[in-house]
Amino acid sequence: MSDPASASTPEPAADLAPALVRLLRAAYPHPSFPDGPYERTARVILDQLDADLWHRLALERGLATLELRAAQSGSEIDEKLLREIEDAEFFRFIRGVTVTTLYNDPEVWELLGYEGSSFEHGGYLHRGFDDLDWLPDPRIEEYDGPEQLVEVADHDQPQQTQESQA
Amino acid sequence: MSDQFGTPIDQDTEAVVIIGSGAGGGTVAHELTQRGIPCVVLEAGAWLKPDDYENDEWAAFNQMAWLDNRTTSGGYRITRDFPNLPAWIVKVVGGSTTHWSGATPRFKEYEFKGRSHYGEIEGANLLDWPIELADLAPYYDKAEIAIGSTHRHGRPALPANNNYKVFAGGAEKIGYKFYATGPYGTNAEPYDGRPASVQDGFNFQGDKSTAKWSTAVREVPRAVESGRCDLRTQCQAVQVTHDAQGRANGVLYLDKDGNLHRQAAKVVCVAGNSIESPRLLLMSASSLHPDGLANSSGQVGRNYMRHTTGSVYARFDQPVRMYRGETMAGIIADEARLDTSRGFAGGYYLETLSLGVPFLAAFVDPGTWGREFTEVMDAYARTAGLWIVGEDLPQESNRITLNTGAKDQWGLPVPDVHFDDHPNDVAMREHGYGRADLLYEAVGANGTHHTPPYPATHNLGTLRMSARPEDGVIGAFGEAHDVPGLFVSDGSVMTTGAAANPTLTIVALAIRQAEHIADRLGKGDL
Ligand SMILES: Cc1cc2nc3c(=O)[nH]c(=O)nc-3n(C[C@H](O)[C@H](O)[C@H](O)COP(=O)(O)OP(=O)(O)OC[C@H]3O[C@@H](n4cnc5c(N)ncnc54)[C@H](O)[C@@H]3O)c2cc1C
Repeated sequence: MSDPASASTPEPAADLAPALVRLLRAAYPHPSFPDGPYERTARVILDQLDADLWHRLALERGLATLELRAAQSGSEIDEKLLREIEDAEFFRFIRGVTVTTLYNDPEVWELLGYEGSSFEHGGYLHRGFDDLDWLPDPRIEEYDGPEQLVEVADHDQPQQTQESQA
Repeated sequence: MSDQFGTPIDQDTEAVVIIGSGAGGGTVAHELTQRGIPCVVLEAGAWLKPDDYENDEWAAFNQMAWLDNRTTSGGYRITRDFPNLPAWIVKVVGGSTTHWSGATPRFKEYEFKGRSHYGEIEGANLLDWPIELADLAPYYDKAEIAIGSTHRHGRPALPANNNYKVFAGGAEKIGYKFYATGPYGTNAEPYDGRPASVQDGFNFQGDKSTAKWSTAVREVPRAVESGRCDLRTQCQAVQVTHDAQGRANGVLYLDKDGNLHRQAAKVVCVAGNSIESPRLLLMSASSLHPDGLANSSGQVGRNYMRHTTGSVYARFDQPVRMYRGETMAGIIADEARLDTSRGFAGGYYLETLSLGVPFLAAFVDPGTWGREFTEVMDAYARTAGLWIVGEDLPQESNRITLNTGAKDQWGLPVPDVHFDDHPNDVAMREHGYGRADLLYEAVGANGTHHTPPYPATHNLGTLRMSARPEDGVIGAFGEAHDVPGLFVSDGSVMTTGAAANPTLTIVALAIRQAEHIADRLGKGDL
């Protein structure tokens, strides 16, 4: 290869995306999620490869051989197959990025029912902070009934005879 | 040059120099400047204002957390999951009070006498405090008034949010009595010039509304406005110096461009939280103090405590939406007592806890994946959460040391945070998990998840108070046994950690210390 630019990027990273998305779906299966969040996470992972030759090598090799392995066993990339490579460097790297990326995606928040920032809407004060209605409303004040919290059980009172009192 | 706020004080003027502006440092600065005593405050972080805070978990964390390199060692799971993040501590003006949620229980009388009450426990380095609850009680009052704790001094309770309804409902069913929505350091009604909570759910991210107390919204601005305070932000202390007689006399610090400066001092108050404070004293070794400043006892950096913690997330059929509202406005005190028939010494609290989707994913069970993990996440809107927080035992081998094999961005040795659970800690955590399961099952949970301890938010004990110089680093008012004029003003001072969240006690001790310092300065005795 004479062109140094093509030598440093032997394959366009985009080619890895479909396999990576299949892997992400198998490792983080959410029946309700469309492909969008997985695709965005895959892109974040692939973008990081430009900065890190070791991760690029490990991930390209890992993904290619994972597809091969799935094909050989006549199955899809699934959780069972992934358990067998749980400790592989490339899969660790993928998990590390995914857990802070897939779940930091506003579409995922919505899918999971998390509304996020509320200050700009006046908080949740008038937007359901106390709308749970399947339990009775509990006491919010401190207990003022007849019982006392026994701070120290009788059998844990220090012995009067203890030498350290001297 | 770094940013400077307030009234400049000459670097050659021997001032009271306070290192850190969090719970301890911010309080000391406020108390001393109100008494007319000039203070220089050196703060490693920048001054963020409420408008700067981000209601987004990762964005806020990356904006505010102390992310300088640290290393870990020992048997705790953090060494695997978060090897460079042993603690969740904040590097901004206000320190970790900007992220704190607000639970403010007091320590109990027996908790000041751990050695007398728990006896000789193998592997533990227990000691009684040199002070008692009665010494601290008046300062607890002052601290609760400063913080505006709910349920105290006429401050009303916060209302029940969704997570609390599940928590308190379960508590009632299993026979707990001592539960409430506080005491909690966020306004239920306007107080002290700050508004009532709007239940926005972002306590851990600075609180844009300022309903939550922090030294960044109360003590530090008041100190700066007093005309007696020179606050220098993005200035990190790297050494405390002493004179030929062994008295503290100055602080070397780096500005944000890495230039070294020296501020002369007649009193130095170290308040960098329990990892940076011992690191600073270890970095301040001299020919008079070859093992680190004020370390004749060998206890500097030892007895590091991080509270016995764990969380439980319970899944229900019906919606909970735990993230709406005040994060920790729910406290059960029934287990905060000493009864070794439970199989461990010391007590613990249960407190409501909620994480957003981003943090729950990262922390619910680090490293897990597959359906077992996504089931937990899929149930997010139907999940309730609580935190177990109890006393862990001081152990000499749990300690902060200088790791000279790893350097921070300035070329200084990083702190290594070594920690092993004591069997007592493990027994307490298991008991807490069990009680939380019962509590949630009593209101219909169809599954619970036991989450291991997070990077520590409560870091304590590494420069502990002791009556005798050979047992600890500082005396009853926080002055080093070995170095006159050197005080410790943060959570490092704790002889034992008690079950309670520490901040109220840190603030109470700091108010008491400031009164003592002012008194002695007034008498020409410092
Ligand atoms: C998410 C979260 C929730 C919490 N919730 C609660 C709660 O509900 N109740 C409770 O009681 N506690 C809570 N805490 C704990 C509480 O925030 C801390 O216990 C308390 O703030 C510690 O006070 P401190 O003075 O020891 O240190 P900090 O408040 O951490 O202040 C230390 C300051 O020193 C600065 N510093 C460090 N080293 C240097 C140096 N060398 N030079 C200059 N500056 C330096 C730091 O930047 C920081 O600003 C919580 C903490 C977190 C992170």
